[in-house]
Amino acid sequence: MAPLEPWEKVMVNEDFMDDVHGQASCTSCHAGDRFAEEKEAAHIGIIGSPDQNAQTTCGNCHNEIVTTAADSLHSSQAGYFKAMYSRSVPENHPALDEAFGNHCASCHTTCGDCHISQPNSVGGGFLDGHMVEKTPPMTRTCTACHGSRVGNEYTGKNEGFPGDVHFRQGRMNCVACHDGESMHDSKGDVDRYDGEQGPSCESCHDTVGKANDEIVQHQIHEDKLSCQTCHSIAYTSCDSCHVAVSETSGKPFFKTSATYMTFFIGRNPRQNDERPYEYVPVRHIPVDPESYAYYGEDLLTNFDLLPTWAYSTPHNIQRNTPQNESCNSCHGNADIFLTADKVRAEELEANKDIIVENVPAPIPGQ
Amino acid sequence: MKRFSIILFVGIGLLLLGGCSAKSVVDNAPTEAAIEATAQVTAVAEEPILTETDTCVDCHTDKQRLIDTADPVEEEAGEGESEGVG
Ligand code: HEC
Ligand code: HEC
Ligand code: HEC
Ligand code: HEC
Ligand code: HEC
Ligand code: HEC
Ligand code: HEC
Ligand code: HEC
Repeated sequence: MAPLEPWEKVMVNEDFMDDVHGQASCTSCHAGDRFAEEKEAAHIGIIGSPDQNAQTTCGNCHNEIVTTAADSLHSSQAGYFKAMYSRSVPENHPALDEAFGNHCASCHTTCGDCHISQPNSVGGGFLDGHMVEKTPPMTRTCTACHGSRVGNEYTGKNEGFPGDVHFRQGRMNCVACHDGESMHDSKGDVDRYDGEQGPSCESCHDTVGKANDEIVQHQIHEDKLSCQTCHSIAYTSCDSCHVAVSETSGKPFFKTSATYMTFFIGRNPRQNDERPYEYVPVRHIPVDPESYAYYGEDLLTNFDLLPTWAYSTPHNIQRNTPQNESCNSCHGNADIFLTADKVRAEELEANKDIIVENVPAPIPGQ
Repeated sequence: MKRFSIILFVGIGLLLLGGCSAKSVVDNAPTEAAIEATAQVTAVAEEPILTETDTCVDCHTDKQRLIDTADPVEEEAGEGESEGVG
């Protein structure tokens, strides 16, 4: 993504004034003084992101979207709180909230972050002279935030690993699977894998495993394995993220000790009616008992309550993968299962339900 | 007299409009003459407020002014201290 010049970031396209969104005066959304001659004076009291309060800016005309979007995960970031609080105790919530404010709140996604400008994490700037884009452009919005993991997998930026078949062959962008409604309405879900699958692979591939499917591997396993168990390749895992505030600049920063490619099949950490699989690919998430140590001692008091090898749905789907090449490239192949020897001693307890004890036996005669 | 009748029309027009709600019946609708009169009066009244004065638009559509007034690019010191994939 080419960096924008400072003027390009804020130069309004003349067409905007003819668009329905440009009918109101600039100051009716951004405040400030539209009679002032000088920049400084004009900008006194200015509101950079009027959509932080979307109800008064966009809500008059898009009331339904604004109402549901307030509780969407992009807006509430409920998943972050769940991940922190579930490993902690209520006394520690204020310290964790402070850490959230410094390090995580900047990922809060406004309407404009998808429809008007690039997110601040990549320096902001209009997508197209303040025009309101219907379809958020993939690399300038979605993967500006979801780049290091999802974006790199999907577009094949991890060296030696091809991009997702839906990208390479299907030329599909994120929105082909994650439509507007799913972005605006998280339907009360408290994290990314809560509730119905959104989307499910079967919503498009509805003949897989059905009566006339000739692929043997599809017929045998029913709901035992998620589709990604056979169709994704190695994906990103991370270790030990620590956050702190710089003494020199006063700015928050983080350090992740390692990032590496893994492919391990584990027992499903969140087996339920919506995700009935017994086995799924799992990835190591960068949480560590000391992740928030800068903000207080032992803040993740209940570290062992959630696994560090998490449910995952890698975005690098392939028709042919090393593990689905034959029955016995998976059955009897302990290397690709998350067995105890692959888990750090201090994390064994947290992952006890994920670790695979008995790798499926080789299929005789295959 | 002419002036008076305009004021009368406008006055009645405003009264009628004021009574206009989602529930209002067709009978309450202002007469065409009343609408015309209101439109004339409001157009005159609003004119001075809607002058072209909008220095925001003037500046934000003028590339050279944006270049001249841009803040110096800040060194990303804090970000620079982060290590690893975020
Ligand atoms: C309908 C409300 C509305 C109107 C009218 C409006 N804006 Fe905006 N503006 C927004 C929103 C929403 C954003 C996106 C903020 C964000 O990214 O969260 C924005 C972003 C901006 C940005 C920041 C771009 C960036 O990412 O760095 C500038 C500059 C800006 N507007 C200037 C203007 C000017 C000048 C006008 C008048 C010509 C104007 N706006 C009219 C709502 C509005
Ligand atoms: C004055 C009413 C009004 C306001 C305020 C408003 N919109 Fe819209 N918006 C519309 C209308 C009308 C359309 C349909 C335009 C069309 O189909 O060309 C629309 C279309 C859109 C679209 C689809 C664009 C397209 O080309 O089809 C997006 C995205 C959008 N609005 C986002 C926003 C956001 C974000 C805000 C708040 C910053 C906002 N709107 C504020 C009236 C409004
Ligand atoms: C400003 C950064 C930002 C932008 C831009 C952004 N996201 Fe997100 N996204 C997030 C954050 C943060 C979360 C996690 C919220 C949580 O877990 O509580 C998230 C969660 C998600 C989720 C899982 C939760 C859900 O709502 O289903 C999906 C899917 C997703 N994003 C897809 C997208 C797509 C597609 C785009 C582009 C159209 C996009 N995101 C743009 C930051 C962003
Ligand atoms: C071929 C369909 C497809 C495409 C294209 C796609 N996704 Fe997804 N995405 C999925 C599925 C399936 C899930 C898992 C949904 C569930 O279990 O609820 C998912 C989950 C997610 C999640 C939440 C889980 C996680 O890994 O954090 C994010 C974020 C996400 N997608 C972002 C993106 C972005 C960004 C793009 C574009 C670069 C994209 N997706 C393109 C199918 C797709
Ligand atoms: C995470 C990204 C994301 C965020 C945040 C987001 N949207 Fe959207 N929006 C989308 C996607 C994706 C679409 C569908 C685009 C398409 O179908 O081409 C969409 C479509 C729309 C449309 C057009 C709907 C139609 O059917 O034509 C409107 C209007 C809209 N969004 C308004 C908003 C408003 C208002 C907000 C803030 C409350 C908002 N969006 C926040 C991703 C987002
Ligand atoms: C929005 C619809 C959609 C969703 C959701 C979706 N796919 Fe696809 N998928 C497609 C399309 C369309 C193609 C064909 C791409 C092409 O070859 O042009 C495809 C191709 C594939 C292929 C390659 C087929 C071949 O013959 O080469 C595989 C494997 C696949 N998908 C698996 C999955 C899996 C696993 C998921 C869930 C993570 C999934 N798909 C989700 C639409 C979808
Ligand atoms: C046990 C492993 C396994 C599982 C689980 C699995 N697949 Fe497959 N899939 C395969 C194999 C093997 C092929 C054929 C590869 C070849 O020979 O080219 C295949 C082929 C495909 C194809 C391309 C052929 C076609 O039918 O169009 C699609 C699409 C596909 N799978 C989707 C899915 C979806 C969706 C799921 C989850 C509902 C799934 N698969 C689960 C092993 C699996
Ligand atoms: C990517 C991994 C993978 C591939 C490929 C795979 N399997 Fe499996 N299979 C499993 C796992 C995991 C189980 C579950 C073992 C358990 O329940 O303990 C399983 C279970 C089975 C079972 C027991 C089914 C049941 O319902 O109890 C049979 C039979 C089987 N596989 C046969 C095959 C055959 C034949 C092939 C090749 C055509 C094959 N598998 C390919 C991973 C795989």
